Parts: sequence; structure tokens; C-alpha cells
Amino acid sequence: MNQNRRLYLSGVLFLLPALLIFGMFFYLPFLQSIYYSFTEWNALKPPRFIGFDNYVNLLKDQRMKDGFFNTMKMVAFGVIVQNTLALFLAVMLNKPFRTKAFLRTSLYLPIVISLVVTSIIWGQLLNYEGLFNGILIRLGLESIIQDWLGTVQTSFPTIILLTQWQGIGYCAIIYLAGLQSIPNDIYEAAEIEGAKGFTLFRTITLPMLMTTVSVVLFLIVVGGLRLFELPYILTNGGPGTSSYTLFLAVYNAAFQNTQYGYATAASIVLAFFIIIVAIVQLRITSKREVEL
Amino acid sequence: MGQLRKPPLLVEALMLLLALLFLLPVCYLLMMSIKQPAIFYDPFKLPNQLYLEYYKAAFQDVAFFRGLGNTLYVTLGGLVLTILVASMSGFVLARMNQRFFRYVFLFILSGLIIPTVGSLIPMFKLAIALELINTRTLLVFMAAAAGIPMATFLYSAFTKSIPRELEESAAIDGCGRLRLFWMIIFPLLMPATGTFVITNIYAAWNDFVTPLIFLNDPSKMTLMPQIVQFMANKQSINLGPVFALSVLSVLPLVVLFLFTQKYMLKGLVMGSVKG
Repeated sequence: MNQNRRLYLSGVLFLLPALLIFGMFFYLPFLQSIYYSFTEWNALKPPRFIGFDNYVNLLKDQRMKDGFFNTMKMVAFGVIVQNTLALFLAVMLNKPFRTKAFLRTSLYLPIVISLVVTSIIWGQLLNYEGLFNGILIRLGLESIIQDWLGTVQTSFPTIILLTQWQGIGYCAIIYLAGLQSIPNDIYEAAEIEGAKGFTLFRTITLPMLMTTVSVVLFLIVVGGLRLFELPYILTNGGPGTSSYTLFLAVYNAAFQNTQYGYATAASIVLAFFIIIVAIVQLRITSKREVEL
Repeated sequence: MGQLRKPPLLVEALMLLLALLFLLPVCYLLMMSIKQPAIFYDPFKLPNQLYLEYYKAAFQDVAFFRGLGNTLYVTLGGLVLTILVASMSGFVLARMNQRFFRYVFLFILSGLIIPTVGSLIPMFKLAIALELINTRTLLVFMAAAAGIPMATFLYSAFTKSIPRELEESAAIDGCGRLRLFWMIIFPLLMPATGTFVITNIYAAWNDFVTPLIFLNDPSKMTLMPQIVQFMANKQSINLGPVFALSVLSVLPLVVLFLFTQKYMLKGLVMGSVKG
């Protein structure tokens, strides 16, 4: 009894540092943000409770609206295109190519390049006088060249495509890890049964990979919802409000216009989106997961 | 899947082409950092000499080594603190199954799906109240708080593969719990530590938003905001020095990546099997 009690107490002590840091610097601000989202609070005035006003105002704000729809486009594109390409790439990289090491290294390398540096590289490449337009001209496609990041219609789609340079490789490496954790003898057994090619993929690889799929989808959704660096550096949400993301709108509302309460309300919307997506996704994928 | 058959040459060629496309922007980054001013804005001219003035300018105009030091401080500080506290919590939560511990585990895991975006503004207020605003220490604590859920999860998953008998026999020898953990268990949890470091170090190093919001003293600034600040000041003239600074900031990570990429995949495989 005494022994158990001491074990219990030491367990609590082991938890304490993590709980303190996590509670103080993660949970406390999160809980506070829920309260602040119902207040009017700016650089001049302390927080004052105003009910749902902030949330109502969100609906009238063009930056927020564009930010919201752009963020949704980013997430949808990531879930459909990035996810599929990454899985395809991982299946390819799992094959015994002669140049396997080189292929893997070069497809993963962009992961380590920060979004700041990514913005600098691509901002230059996609300049009106940059290499990309230069190549288009040489190919005789002069009619389609434009300022890709400076035009309302193309700025946000361009940013979405830019996220893929790193995004695909990042998800591919996680898929590859998932593929390699599938025991080889399952494939051998299935091949003896006469299954091959796409049938193998559909009946073995995909079901066995469901956990990885949910991890990747979660990362894509969360990453998409917090898209910030590229529009912040490349377009600052422009031209107009065409390339705003929700995160950028939150940032500008808080740290440029000092509308803290309002910005918190917007970020709460963002946060609950992530939480709902995560829960729905856990529900869906956990049903399809196959236990080894 | 057909592990032994080599793919056809045409497929290999296509993959190589794709790989080169992925590499191109990295090469472009390097090239722009040594491209002399006369041809800097001509996209079809390649540099024909090693023009190092941009690097000189980058070292002269920006306190690169200070930025590097700050980045190292914040990155390593955050990782070390996370590992210290989350290895203990992960271990305990894997071993104890009383109700209290089960609830704590859920509480910590909930951090995996709660995004930090919403907390930025209250965090700002909290940091002012704690007099931690504009300090690197704050960034270390924030990184640890954000990393604890994932790290705790990893450590608890890996703890389950360590036999309990080890602890029991050590306890009989009169070894205290704390010493037992650090001397015996923690070294065995190395794979979890490795997985956590390899999957988190890049994001930590490359973090732009947190220092942008919570630091404003130039002497404490990390590399990423430094680059953006430098670019904002350079708007009118040529961006060569910005590219040089970018190369310098990326270099440590590229080296690390080239040396650890094998372990990265292994770590992820282990993580996914345990998870």
C-alpha cells in the first residue's frame, strides 16, 4: 500500500514539469482566447465584453471573407491534389530505382528550406521579368505571361502551387515510412495468389496505409489552415484582398490594427475548424484502419 | 511490391526529370547568391565568375552570427526542454493506468488537435504579465509547450516496448525513481528522442511567425525574421545579399539533412509502427 502510494506520488511528480509548461503556455492562452473573442479590446481600451459582435463583424469583413475562402481552397487542394501526388510519389520512391538515393534526396531537400527562403526564391523566379516568364516567351507563349503574384486572378492559385514544392515531398516521406512498415510477406502471399499491380495496391497497400493517410491528411489540413508566410512575404494578401488567408487576416487585424478581441474571434473560428476537422477525420479513418 | 524488379528506364528518366525540377529552385538560390550585379536581373545569363561580394555585404549589413546564435538558442532550447519534460511524462503515462493518469494523458493529447493560432494574442498578454515579452526564453517555453503533446505521445509509445522487469530489478537495488529514469530508461528511449528531434528541428529552425510576433529587439532576433527585415530594407537595390543571407541560413539544415536523412525515414517508420 505504502509502496503503491509512493509510486503514485512519484508519477505525479514526473508529470509536473510537463503539465506546468503545457498548462501555462498552451492551455491557459487557449482558454483565455475563447473569452477574449467576446470582448472589444484594442491598444487603447482594455477588454470589454460585447457578446457575439466580433463574430458578426467577421461576416462583413472582406479580408476575412477572402481569407476564409482562400484558406478553404488551399485545404481542398491539399487534401485532393497534394495528398494524391504524395502517395503516388511515395509508391514510386519505394521501387528499386538505380538512382534511388539521388531521387529521394532531391525530392525531400525542399523540406528543409524555410518558407521565408522559399518565398524569396519563387518571388524572384515568378517576377514579371523573371525566369519563368522568360521561359514562356522563349516557348512562344508570350500571350500568357503576366505578373503571377501581382494579378488578382493568379496570385492565390500561384501561392497554392508554391506550397506544393515542399508539401509534396514532406507528405511523400511520411507515406514512404508507412509503406515500409507494411510487412513484405503480405505482398508475397498475395502475389502467390496471383494478385498484382493495382490490385495489390488497392487491396493491400491502401488498407494497410490508412493510419498514415490520416496522419498525412491531418498535417495537410492543419498546414493549409495556417498558411501565412508565403502570402505575408510575397503579396501581403494582395492585390486587393485576393490572396489573404485566414491566418494573415488574423495577424493583420491583431498586430497592425491592434483589434485584439476581433482578431481572437477570427482565430477561434480557425481553431475550431481545425478541431472539428481533426475529430471528423479521426472518426472516419479510425473505422477504416486495419490493425496489424 | 515487386521489390526485386527494377523499373523500366523510361520511368527512371521521368523520375530523374521530376527530381531535377525539385532541385532547380535550390540551385537557383545558390546561383543568385553569386551572380554579379551586371547580369543579376537577366534570367538567362549564368554567372561566369565566383562573385562573393553579396556574402561580404550579408556579413557586413546583418549580424549573421548573432542571428545564428539566437536561432540555435531558441531551436535547441525548445527541443531540449521538450525532451526533458516530455520523456518523463510520456514514461509515466505509459506505466501508470490509474484514472488520474489516463485523464492527464487525454488532456495532453488534446494539444495535438488544438492549434496555437488562437492563443497568440492572449499569449502576448501573458508574456507581458510574466515579463517574458521580447525574450528568447519565452520562445523556448512556447516551443516546449507546443511540442509536449507529440513528444509525450512518442515517448509513451516507445516506453511500452521497454520491459517492466528492468525497473523492478533496479528498484530492488535501491535505485530512486528519478535516477532510475535518467540512468536506465532515458537512454533506452533514444529512438523516440531521435524521431522527435528529426521531425521537429526543421520547423523550429525555420519558424518565422513566433519571433516576428514575440521578439522586437534586433539583438535577440532569429535568422528568419532577420532575412525578411533585410529584404524590406533592400527593396530598391539588387537582392543578391538577401540570397546570400538565405543560403547561409539554409546551409546548416542542408548539412544536417544530408547526414540524417537515412535516420529520418527510419525514425518515421518506427514512429508509425508504434503509433
